[in-house]
Amino acid sequence: MSAREVALAVGARLGEADRAGLNATLAWSEAALLAEAERVDALPGQGPLHALPVAIKDNIVTTGLPTTCGSRILEGYRSPFDATVIRRLHAAGAFVACKTNLDEFAMGSSTEHSAFGRVLHPMDHARVPGGSSGGSAALVAAGVVPMALGSETGGSVRQPASFCGVVGVKPTYGRVSRYGLVAFGSSLDCVSVFARTVGDAARLLGVIAGPDPRDATTLSAPPITPHAPVRSLSGTTIGLPREYFPGDLDRGVRAACDAAIARLRELGATIVEVSLPHSALAVPAYYIIAPAEAAANLARFDGARYGARAPAGGDVRALYRATRGAGFGAEVRRRILVGTYVLSAGYYDTYYGHAQAVRRRIAGDFSHAFAGGVDFLFTPTAPTTAFKAGEKTGDPVAMYLADVFVCPASLAGLPAMSLPIGRSEGLPIGGQLIAPPLAEAGMLATAAALERVLDAGAEVR
Amino acid sequence: MAALAELAVAPADLAELTAQMDRIVGFVAQLTALGDLSIGAAEPLGPRVTPLRDDVVTPADLGLGPSDLAPEFVDGFFVVPRLGAMEEP
Repeated sequence: MSAREVALAVGARLGEADRAGLNATLAWSEAALLAEAERVDALPGQGPLHALPVAIKDNIVTTGLPTTCGSRILEGYRSPFDATVIRRLHAAGAFVACKTNLDEFAMGSSTEHSAFGRVLHPMDHARVPGGSSGGSAALVAAGVVPMALGSETGGSVRQPASFCGVVGVKPTYGRVSRYGLVAFGSSLDCVSVFARTVGDAARLLGVIAGPDPRDATTLSAPPITPHAPVRSLSGTTIGLPREYFPGDLDRGVRAACDAAIARLRELGATIVEVSLPHSALAVPAYYIIAPAEAAANLARFDGARYGARAPAGGDVRALYRATRGAGFGAEVRRRILVGTYVLSAGYYDTYYGHAQAVRRRIAGDFSHAFAGGVDFLFTPTAPTTAFKAGEKTGDPVAMYLADVFVCPASLAGLPAMSLPIGRSEGLPIGGQLIAPPLAEAGMLATAAALERVLDAGAEVR
Repeated sequence: MAALAELAVAPADLAELTAQMDRIVGFVAQLTALGDLSIGAAEPLGPRVTPLRDDVVTPADLGLGPSDLAPEFVDGFFVVPRLGAMEEP
């Protein structure tokens, strides 16, 4: 198929998804798709992602389509430059299919906090697709696009991947350039990928990863070279952190994990129990560190530097307050207030200092486990399957705890991924693999071996 | 706190927002009961391979030039409306 034919087919599917009310897209047009296709068809050769349409979370800037971050404050904003990941997709022959809906500024775990309405779970419209990259996850799960980009700050790709039954991979912090990713928590943010298979996710990650002179935190590491298909996991040790399998874990999630662990054992892996004692503190530590960084990063949205200016009388601070008060939604305002509070004089050491110390302890636990001979860790990705819309919006802390198993790897800067491992009452369940720094290739090979022997669409018992 | 954060909050929203902030701060405050965690192993984060780089300026290579982003671009300066000039009196 030519890129033009692909673009027309994707346009038809995007139209169907919009008409079905999925609300997963924020911007796309047939004209933009055809312009992208024309560019791809004019390329001299065929790159590794030739003519593949990729959906892009709307906090990654693109010149071809607006970037809103799911916020009224950026409604209609069009970036003057493409993010590095967009340039790399273009160079590989891929094209931007659409911009996807998200929790405002990537703050949320259900994609209910978008200024442009919630995203529906593609298999059960009464439920959430997870978040904050819920639009990207839903489009891949619905078969609208084969792959998508999301972003992770504290699990925003792995958790929706688990809820929607797709593969989601977060690389090592610094593997992928953040240039052009609208900043939320700069010490945590990672552009991450969704696909329907582990192999597709590996291809996409391989294209976007690599050092970038425009992002000083990118790592000068060798590229992610896919391993040859692995038939046996003999010689591989998988650690099961006991803190991630609490007694009150959802029965379906527990059963799916038990089945996946049995398959890993059958593949020849050695299974050992390990302890990550500080992981239980990851969510409170995250909700100090991330809001603190967000409060600083979002200061630029004031109506003068960025953001649609709200009418205000008085001085320039009145303008800032009116613009930010009107432009930001409830969850973003809450996090800015928490971040401002924990960084304020008299509270900095009490909150931020403690959270940074806990972060180091969490990283130390992982290092200790890997130094002890564990190659990868296996855990549930989320404590439950997709929950119902509105179930947690009244209690921010209940929503935050949906990320209890994904936050620790984010705080430690480690690569981690979710892959589908079964279903409970028809809803997908994800299993999480966590790897040492820069060990993405081995993690993906292990996941691919597990993927081959699992029936991820089967109901667990 | 809203004033520090430069956020206007409608009086009608204050009670609910205050309750939510109390809930969140109460939740994260569990860390403060742990004592001094800075003593002992201080694990550096992430892989230890990030090198220092030369501080060189690279071209921005913008998709849209600066002149496309402002109403006027004269003698190397943006000509933008005076603050407040675009609002209703």
